[in-house]
Amino acid sequence: MSRRLSIFIVLASASAFADPPPAATTATAAAPADMSDQAIGASIGLALGGRVTPGGVRFEGHYLYQLSDHDWFDGTAAFTFGGDSPECFFDRQDNYVCDHGVAQGDSFEAIATVRHFLGGQGQYWPFLHGGIGLGYVRYAADGVGGLVIPLHAGGGIRVSITPDLAIVGQAELELGIGFFSHSVGTEPQLGANLTAGVEFRL
Amino acid sequence: MRIALLAPLLLAACVSSDVSRDVGARCDLNSDCDGRCLGPSGDFPGGFCTLDCDSDTDCPNNAHCISDNGGVCVFACGSDSDCTFLGAYTCQASDSQGAGARVNVCRGG
Repeated sequence: MSRRLSIFIVLASASAFADPPPAATTATAAAPADMSDQAIGASIGLALGGRVTPGGVRFEGHYLYQLSDHDWFDGTAAFTFGGDSPECFFDRQDNYVCDHGVAQGDSFEAIATVRHFLGGQGQYWPFLHGGIGLGYVRYAADGVGGLVIPLHAGGGIRVSITPDLAIVGQAELELGIGFFSHSVGTEPQLGANLTAGVEFRL
Repeated sequence: MRIALLAPLLLAACVSSDVSRDVGARCDLNSDCDGRCLGPSGDFPGGFCTLDCDSDTDCPNNAHCISDNGGVCVFACGSDSDCTFLGAYTCQASDSQGAGARVNVCRGG
């Protein structure tokens, strides 16, 4: 009896101090688990502009397509609707100058960006994005319109709600160039966009 | 002393950056301005956007209300060099609207 007890104690002790079993190898996730190879989204927010960069309420539609483990192409159609009052004038050198406020003008823009996911935690996945757009800007009260080519760079966060639905918030800066009518000519574009919306997997 | 020497330059720099649809833009029609257009003339070469006023308080900080045209805002000045940003304008004494005094403002002629 005592011999059996001794063997049990020895085995139990050996078991207690034995190395733990090797952990299963886990690969670090590169993107949200629920992020499929294609997704669509819609968002709303604010565009901040000024001079000849439009600003106001911004609506965006997104189509995402997976490029790699970390990266998704984000094709965006963006509409900005701002106030409309005449803000252009001839300066004393006879240059036609526009000095619109931060939330004036209307625009449509098609944007191609790449979204790069950074290391996420649970349902929260931050990302960076950057790309280029091509758009048309109009200030109706001044009769001024122009073609714009802005670069976009920013970041955001994607929060998974269900396997099919996520909330996305993002902020970005845009910097570019515009070619305007009515002798305004070539002018820089400088603005910021803050948006939030939803994203559905396809 | 240095401040006194720099003051005209600072004033000129300040004034030139304040040309706007309110005061100072070149114009032919009222629609070129937020207020009214004093059309091209000897007094206002190239036309001059301005605001109606009863006293200086109705005008931007760098402008006086003068009695011309029933009371209009025009840029204040200390010397002719303060008016060069407007082109063919010089610093001249004009009747102030409401204050019964003479003030120096930029105007043509």
